[in-house]
Parts: sequence; C-alpha cells; structure tokens
Amino acid sequence: MFSNDGFLTGKASSSNSGQTHVFTSFPNSAVDPEDEHFGDQSSDTDKLVLPLPATAADAKPEQSYVWQIEYYQKYFQIDTQQVLERLAASVTPRPNKSYFDSTIRQNPDLYGPFWVCVTFIVTVGISGNIVNYFHLPDAEFQIDFSRITLSAILVCLYWWLMPTFIYFFFRWRLNRIEYTFLELLCLYGYSLAIFIPVSVLWIIPINWLQWTLTFIASLVSGSVLVVTFWPTINSDHKRLSAISMLVVLLAHLLMAVCIMFVFFHISDSNINPKSVTTLATTTLSSTSTLTATTISTTTVTPKAV
Amino acid sequence: MDTDQAPFLTTSTQGIDMIEGDITLPSNRTNSNELSTLDEPVLDTIKRDLGAVLRKFGYAVVPRHSSTLLQQWDLWGPLILVTTLAILLQSNATKSSAGAQFAEVFTLMLIGSIAVTVNSQLLGGKISFFQSVCVLGYCLLPLLLSAFVNNILLYIPTKSTISILHIIRFLVVMAAYAWTMYASVQFLGKTQQPNRRMLVLYPIFLFYFLIAWLIILHAHPK
Repeated sequence: MFSNDGFLTGKASSSNSGQTHVFTSFPNSAVDPEDEHFGDQSSDTDKLVLPLPATAADAKPEQSYVWQIEYYQKYFQIDTQQVLERLAASVTPRPNKSYFDSTIRQNPDLYGPFWVCVTFIVTVGISGNIVNYFHLPDAEFQIDFSRITLSAILVCLYWWLMPTFIYFFFRWRLNRIEYTFLELLCLYGYSLAIFIPVSVLWIIPINWLQWTLTFIASLVSGSVLVVTFWPTINSDHKRLSAISMLVVLLAHLLMAVCIMFVFFHISDSNINPKSVTTLATTTLSSTSTLTATTISTTTVTPKAV
Repeated sequence: MDTDQAPFLTTSTQGIDMIEGDITLPSNRTNSNELSTLDEPVLDTIKRDLGAVLRKFGYAVVPRHSSTLLQQWDLWGPLILVTTLAILLQSNATKSSAGAQFAEVFTLMLIGSIAVTVNSQLLGGKISFFQSVCVLGYCLLPLLLSAFVNNILLYIPTKSTISILHIIRFLVVMAAYAWTMYASVQFLGKTQQPNRRMLVLYPIFLFYFLIAWLIILHAHPK
C-alpha cells in the first residue's frame, strides 16, 4: 500500500487491494465541482441540497430559490429589440392582429412594464416640478416628494390591481386560465407607455389641450387592451363582454384623469394656501358678481325696453 | 507489522516529519497582505486607502479602461460623494426640514443604485452588487463638480425668471451629466452582452438624470 518513498500508491498488498472507496455521505459543501461522480447521487435528497456555487461548471441550472437572483432571471429574458417592438405595438391598436399573441405570449417579461412605470412616475414628477417652477419665484421653490410618492403609489397600484381583477374575472367567468398573471402584468405595464410623452405635453397650461390629450391617450392604449381581450371575451354573453370592455377602458381613463388632477394640484399646492383661497374667493366673487350683474342687466333692460 | 508499512514506521522513529506548507488558496497580492496590514501604522493604512480612493476618482473623471474600479471596489468614494451632494443640495431649509431634505437625496441615491444594480444582475450581467454601487458612486464626481459650480453661480443676483445664468447653469449640469454617462457606460456597459446593453444603460441614464434634475432645480440657500 505504501511505496518506498512513503506515498500511497494504487497498488496494495492487503485485502483492500483493487477497491476504490467512494464516499457518498458527505456534506455537499465538500463537493469538488469537477468531480464527475457527483451526478450519481440520488435525487430524492434534492430538497436538502444546498445550491451549488455559481462558479460550478456543471451546476444543475434549475435549482434556484426565491431569495436568489437567478430565480427572477427568467422574467428578464429579453433583448433590446424585443422591448422596442413591444413598446411600439402597445400604442398601435390593430383589430386583426393581436400583438399580444405575436410578441408577449411566448416570452412575458417584467423589465418593460417595471421601467415603463418608473419612467412614467419620474416624468410626471419632473413635469409637475417644471409647472411649479414657472409659477413660483425662484426663492420659494422646493421639490415636493410627497406628490411624487402619491403618484408612484397610484400608478403601481393600477399596474398591479387591474391585472388581478382581470385574471380573477377570466378565471371565474371562463373557468380556465386564458392569460397568466404575468402576461397580464406585462400587457398593462406596456400600455402605460403612451402616457410618458403625454405627461411631458401636460406641462402646457391649456385646459382643453390637457383634457384632449388625456382622452386620446387613454383611448389609444385602452383600445389596445380591448383588442387583446376581445377574442377571449367575445365567446361570452354579448352584453357582459361589452360591459367588461367598457370597464377596462373607463379604468384606464380614470387613472389618466387622476394623474392629471394630481398634476393640477401639484401646480396649486406649492403656492401659499392663503393665496389659493384668495384666488378661489376672488374668482368665485368675480364670477358671482359677473352673473349678478348680467342677471340684473338682463332684468333691467327688458324693463327699460 | 506489515513489511510495506515498514518505511513509514522507520521514518517515524526518527521523529515526526514536519510538513510545512500553505493551506491558503493562491491569492492575489491584496489577500496575502491582509494579515500583515494589521501591524502597520495607521497613517500608512489611511494613506494607502486614500490613495486608492483618489486613484478611482481619477478613473471616474478620465475614463480609461482599467479593471481597478471593478476589481478593487470600495464604498468610501460613493459615501463621500453622496454625502457632499446631499449637503450641497439643501436649500431654503427650515430647521425641521433640513434633515428631511438630506435624507431625501440620500435615499434617492441609495434606492437608485440598488435598482440599477439589481436590474443589471437580473438581465444577466456578470457584475456583483457592490462593484456596481461602487462604479455608480464614483462616476457621480462630474455631477458633484457641477453642483459646486452651480452653487457659486447662484450667488450672482438675477432678477428675471429665465436669465442667462439659468441657461448657463442648465448647460453646465447637462455637460456634467453627459460626462457622467460616458464614464459609467465605459465601465458598466462592457459587463453586459451587446443585445441587452441598452436595457442596462437606460436605468443608469434615468438615475443620473434624476440627480442632474435635483441639481438644476436647486435654489438659493437662504
């Protein structure tokens, strides 16, 4: 067993000669990643196995846990080209071809929706700040983070709640899972993309322009949503399908209107509250006096006549 | 006793053979020096760390390809930069809101760095969390310089809402922003495969844009 210079050799003259002893009951942290015998271990102990280090050459790829980054990487398998395609498709409602089937269904991702929401919140915050900046003298201006957090919560809630409702609605109504929750999240996230340029245009302080933009934007992205859901809901009772599509559109419009009003209030709230009330009272009083004078003149003039 | 064990036993009768060696893994220089730096004077440690931080500042300002910023990351530079920036960006602070303003900027920086880093990891980048935070923090240096310049320019009184000074400030900050983006693209862009590079760079673009925006909007400290 021992050669002349004291090292172990393969040759042994004892009864253990010719046998190689394979250890099987060792902790997995002791595994040499290059050891090819590792794969022989039984798989029913998988649940107790610590995950192999990421540098392991032949690591089993499926074994990732909720607290590991690799678990979430499967939601981010997307390229730049695909993201751009989905963004473009979310603003073009095409009644014949559902972009959902052609693009999202194979590979729903969370990158696009998440960063579209974040960009939306950021542009709303920045545009609101610009609106404030022009209304206040330089010295009194402060960045108000509370409005930004409010709009952030609103947008994120919308992004998550609507897919939840639709998912459960389809599940209850159709008794099957037509769209997975991830696909719905993806769809709703991309549908917010049109509001990003719109929120920049919302800075322009013309009232009818803001309302028109709101309507057009929510109509366009809402119709993309409706077109996507239509083939599924069409097989159902006609009235219910119409109502549900209308609800989708209205929810979209409501979200846009809420953001626009938070905008308006961004422009008003940083003004000294006293001036807001004085502004309100002066407008009210001026309109009331105006109406009073017009009424009095109209009542007076017939008498004069 | 077996005859083939005899050589072993005979050598053992001469005393135990001391086996010497190093069980530590072959490491780079810094690891093997770790133990020995415990004994050096404090001034040496400070000088060495300070030198490393300053060298990284140099890399951030003049971006050239070097692995120093990534391999030997440290968080001193980002901490100094973020704290200085948060102090500079305080304006119109009443006694109670000064702390809140500092916290806002600091939190924005922290959450932004975390979001960008997690995003780049999720997209399959081969960069670790602290390396990314380190690079993002160090590349902030041009924006900090522009905040200094901004503050100095704010002391020049101006009457109108939009004056030439506003435009100069805006341009200075935008130039610093472009410089910052260029530096961070040099470092962080290379860690990602080419078909996803824009996906990783876009959050960085947003993050630095937010910070540049905070600097532009900074009004006169009273």
